[in-house]
Amino acid sequence: MKCDTFIEALSARVKVLEVTRQCEDQVTALVELNDLPEAVRFLYYDMGGYLSTMIPNDERSINKHYALYYALSMEGGKMFEGDEIAQDEKCFVTIKALISPDSLTYPSVTPLVPACVWYEREAYDMFGLVAEGLPDKRRLALSDDWPEGLFPLRKDAMDYRYRPDMKDHYMEPEYEFLRPEGSGIIDVPLGPLHITADEPGHFRLFCDGDTIIDADYRLFYQHRGMEKLAENRMNYDQMGYLAERVCGICGYAHSIACIEAAEKAINLEIPARAQAIRVICSEIERLHSHLLNIGLACEVTGNYNAFMHIFRIREYSMKLAELVTGGRKTYGNVVMGGLRRDMTGVEIKESLKILKIIETQADEVWDAVMDDQRQMKRWKGVGILDKQVARDFSAVGPNIRGSGIKRDTRYDHPYDFFKQIEFDVAVVEGGDVFAREMVRYMELKSSVSIIRQCFELMPQTAIIVDPKFHVKPENYALAYVEAPRGDNVHWIMQGSAQKVFRWRCRAATYNNWPSLRFQFRGNTIADAALIVCSLDPCYSCTERVTVVDMKSKKSKILTHADLKNFARTQKESPLKDLR
Amino acid sequence: MMKLLDISKKYGDTTHKYPFEPYNVAKNFRGKPAYTFDLCIGCAACGIACPSNAITVQFNDDKSKLVWEFDCGRCIFCGRCDEVCPTGAIRLSEEFELAVKFDKSALIQRGELEVQYCTQCQKPFSAKRLIKYSFECLSKANVSEKRLEEAKEYLGVCPTCKKQATVANFTSGKEMVIE
Repeated sequence: MKCDTFIEALSARVKVLEVTRQCEDQVTALVELNDLPEAVRFLYYDMGGYLSTMIPNDERSINKHYALYYALSMEGGKMFEGDEIAQDEKCFVTIKALISPDSLTYPSVTPLVPACVWYEREAYDMFGLVAEGLPDKRRLALSDDWPEGLFPLRKDAMDYRYRPDMKDHYMEPEYEFLRPEGSGIIDVPLGPLHITADEPGHFRLFCDGDTIIDADYRLFYQHRGMEKLAENRMNYDQMGYLAERVCGICGYAHSIACIEAAEKAINLEIPARAQAIRVICSEIERLHSHLLNIGLACEVTGNYNAFMHIFRIREYSMKLAELVTGGRKTYGNVVMGGLRRDMTGVEIKESLKILKIIETQADEVWDAVMDDQRQMKRWKGVGILDKQVARDFSAVGPNIRGSGIKRDTRYDHPYDFFKQIEFDVAVVEGGDVFAREMVRYMELKSSVSIIRQCFELMPQTAIIVDPKFHVKPENYALAYVEAPRGDNVHWIMQGSAQKVFRWRCRAATYNNWPSLRFQFRGNTIADAALIVCSLDPCYSCTERVTVVDMKSKKSKILTHADLKNFARTQKESPLKDLR
Repeated sequence: MMKLLDISKKYGDTTHKYPFEPYNVAKNFRGKPAYTFDLCIGCAACGIACPSNAITVQFNDDKSKLVWEFDCGRCIFCGRCDEVCPTGAIRLSEEFELAVKFDKSALIQRGELEVQYCTQCQKPFSAKRLIKYSFECLSKANVSEKRLEEAKEYLGVCPTCKKQATVANFTSGKEMVIE
């Protein structure tokens, strides 16, 4: 069976207490708490794993302990040619450890595997589990004035409707940024006021002149507590729609990942036609997401002309979604056991016409952008993600593929219809903004071909299975979907009464944020917005920016227009009168 | 740069004159659910199917009317109500212009249905139209005249009274004959 070789190798290294299998390609190994860091490090670096997600769980009602699950995708390190596990050996190995409710501490894995840092910070926020030896113990998700000692995801902590009183702003504790040592460093906060684009996020750039020497950031201003909500009042019929609203761009990928996790936990096979339509819809999503990001990467650098053309083409992909699902953005057709809406022959014919338009017009515009020397100068060599950093932090999606690492869930762990589809994984060396946009363009082309293949190979079967299945309490499984920004990994432990016991939803960008500070270093603040944008986290920007010179204590408030203008033209530095 | 201008020239105007001309959506677009009061029988299937609780079906305060209420602000346009409605009273429309100015109550749509009182305990328990609809379904179902006469009786009895009557029949030794 799959995974057995990894469990054998692991047993030789640490004591494995128990091995359980969830489905064909997923096993869980229970280890002693003290062996946890070594077990994860061994699988990560020695056996070629990437950290997919980490799930803290309150299992006191099941086994009187808290549990940690480190889910690793075993696919090979991929640092050089041939450094990859054979295709039929690839699988997921989860390391599980139990924590006693008396101690609430566990040895941190982060010093050995840096990719765990955010997960372990969040484990404290939500469950109060303390990672001993974690270098950065600040809160991650909850706000600064959240009451001490209230850990929302513990089963006995609070009602899901409870809202703690807000503190007045002057009572709020100060958030400490990790700032570099040295004199003459200028602090540039970027955010979180008045977000004009999409998402709020606060970036603190530490600059020497115009050059960024380090960066720190905090996000989660919009943490909506969906996991708590789902545990408490959603059933599986409703969860798919809730998951779809996790993200404004890759919602469909979340929705399939969530429902597939529930399906995998009870080994429910869905009809081939439903699989194919799930793939088609998620590829349509990739089309519009990549067109959006390429467009924005032009817009941030002031190339409005190209931006408008790319958005003109993007409109066709929205039309395509409207045609085959009835909704431009939220497709709302995933239910447990299959889908709710089939595609008709007429819709398929119309879709093929639209695909042709997208393909040819995207080529034309991309050629024009490639010819534009000024555009290339802004993209090339900016925001470099080092290959080793990408490996250490388990980056995902175009971000890691732009650094020359061939990591794509559709290829590593083919799900749904991808077993029957041929496509090339887009990999570009370089790691700069240009490489990432190039990956996106190549994927745009392959998405069009994947959709065409699906239309051709799609069998005439039902789209939903007979709904006579039963969920089994305490069964759990991972589901993984390659969303436009990387893989979305959902983990579901089923509970009784058609509810989930624990739902862990990890969006793609969660794995990309921790390595962002390395991408910032050495670039100018004019490129900061572009670098954030090229990560595709929904480009955050701010209404106003305060700049403080640490030496002269002078400060200046920049308007959104000032900074945006500087990002576009690179002339008239807004910081010049501070120096 | 010049290439982009060439492309602009090639494709010309791509914008619509919306709102000065109508914007056509795809044939199976999932827009605002449209409600036809005359067809609604108050069965509450849509209220149960609705994942976001946008549709509620409940008695008003003095239980004189069964109120069907739809809050468009909560609607996620999934179309489950459309799927389950037995009479086609609720169908997704092509309407997408849903913005309201300040007054959120404009998003709410209501339908008040006459209630059916139980012939035994006189308490309201369902909508008149639902009872009528059930009887019509039975009439078309090829059952005997006698059964239909019986149905007229028991359709007007609320579930609680029905339960009590059944228990009373069993305990008093009366035989229930089901044809």
